[in-house]
Amino acid sequence: MKRLITTVAAALALGFLAPSGAQEGHPLKGSWLGEWQGNTVHGENVLLVLDWDGKAITGMINPGTDNMPLTRATLEPDGWVVRFEAEGKDKDGSAVRYVVEGKIENLELPNRSIVGTWSSNKGRGTFTASRQ
Amino acid sequence: MRVRSIGRWCAAVACAIAAPLALAHHAVVAKFDETKRTELEGIVTGVDWRNPHVHVFTNVSRENGEIENWAVELESTVLLKRSGWEHDTLRPGDAIRVSGPTARDGSRQVWGETVVATATNRQVYNVTDEGPVRPRSPRPTPRGPDGKPLLGMADETGGYWAYPSSTVLMQAGANVQMNRDGVLARLADAPRVAPFQPWALGLYRHRQERHLADDPGFLNCKNPGAVRQFQTPYGVQFVEDHARKRIFVLIGGGNRNYRIIYMDGRELKGQVRGDDDNPLYYGRAVGEWEGDTLVVRTTGFNEDFWFTNGGLPHTDRLSLVERFSRPDYDTLRYEVTIDDPGAYTQPWSSSWELRWVGGEELPVYFCQDNRS
Repeated sequence: MKRLITTVAAALALGFLAPSGAQEGHPLKGSWLGEWQGNTVHGENVLLVLDWDGKAITGMINPGTDNMPLTRATLEPDGWVVRFEAEGKDKDGSAVRYVVEGKIENLELPNRSIVGTWSSNKGRGTFTASRQ
Repeated sequence: MRVRSIGRWCAAVACAIAAPLALAHHAVVAKFDETKRTELEGIVTGVDWRNPHVHVFTNVSRENGEIENWAVELESTVLLKRSGWEHDTLRPGDAIRVSGPTARDGSRQVWGETVVATATNRQVYNVTDEGPVRPRSPRPTPRGPDGKPLLGMADETGGYWAYPSSTVLMQAGANVQMNRDGVLARLADAPRVAPFQPWALGLYRHRQERHLADDPGFLNCKNPGAVRQFQTPYGVQFVEDHARKRIFVLIGGGNRNYRIIYMDGRELKGQVRGDDDNPLYYGRAVGEWEGDTLVVRTTGFNEDFWFTNGGLPHTDRLSLVERFSRPDYDTLRYEVTIDDPGAYTQPWSSSWELRWVGGEELPVYFCQDNRS
């Protein structure tokens, strides 16, 4: 039941979001909304806000709630492979270290996606996010 | 009637009806495959004379008696009229012979590289216009009341700049082969076009591999911001408002919008309660004269458009230094230095010339017709 409610809420949230704005610059720059399935620590819905300063990819996972800054982020243009590392805390204050690995799909579209996996010292699962 | 094909013609004729003209405004190679060419003969059933592309609909009879309707796509009405053609150059019932590349999606569409009226054997609807004839001896540069060269009209007869000597952008000295839309002859040459950062090179390659089909200037009528406005086929017009110390640069194609170059010595920043933190398609530009050269510095671009034909990426860190000079009445020299530390490893430069089209106003070409 909880999974159903989560799924419906996520679908509604995505449904009400405005269409993706054009973004012809760095492919990762922007806000990304998606799921890291099976994440029992920070919930299955995930928001990524990413930026590019000309030298490094910076950003934060779930700003405003979990506030997990990226500690490392890379993009390999050959295959458009992405890798993010971030660190947060669980409800007990223990460190949770995340690694997200995936690929950008539909690179040419404003609502391109990152599809891959996430892992941490608390679990692992599939990761998907679409640029908003 | 005869149909003769080259390449994978069977895939095209397998379609029962002509597909909708889904990609209405585009670089030619984005829609048509140069490696899949055809030649056909048929009878004109209609001429759709409008922008962005003229279409001639043609019935082609096959040997088995089946009749196929093909859409022959041509350049815009503006470019065809410049070459002397009219909407009724061809009429329903005329027999024509067409050759050119066919649509990538397999539909019955062909780019009308050559269209010949069978009855007269005369080629029609081809673009032959090469621009205004240059005077035998250069006319002197027109000058304003301050003695500076006029970049716009010297009198009320009208005029604008067009026919750029280059419609593609690459760093000076690169000498890379590409077509007029900026499609590389050899993808392996991509790294030579500009001093790319790795991600920017990857994105440029990706756009090239997709034949520029994702160009937002075509798909979404995004503005030809930055340097692209000086490489479009429909020209630009300078309107110099000396009293108010600003220059308007009007765009011949696209959305009929304009860029403002402020000449009043203001700082290069946005307007309070206006665009102070809002990146723009044309950025914010200030200009000053250095001798007879107008030097324009522009920053504050957004990332929602392609700043060149050919799909070179940029970021909101892009800044330009453009140098405009008019060495004679009929020549505008454009030099640009591109500095975008978000996409390129170092500043780079390019230059070309535009020609004066006197006695005319900017042609009417609305990108929005793409939606019609």
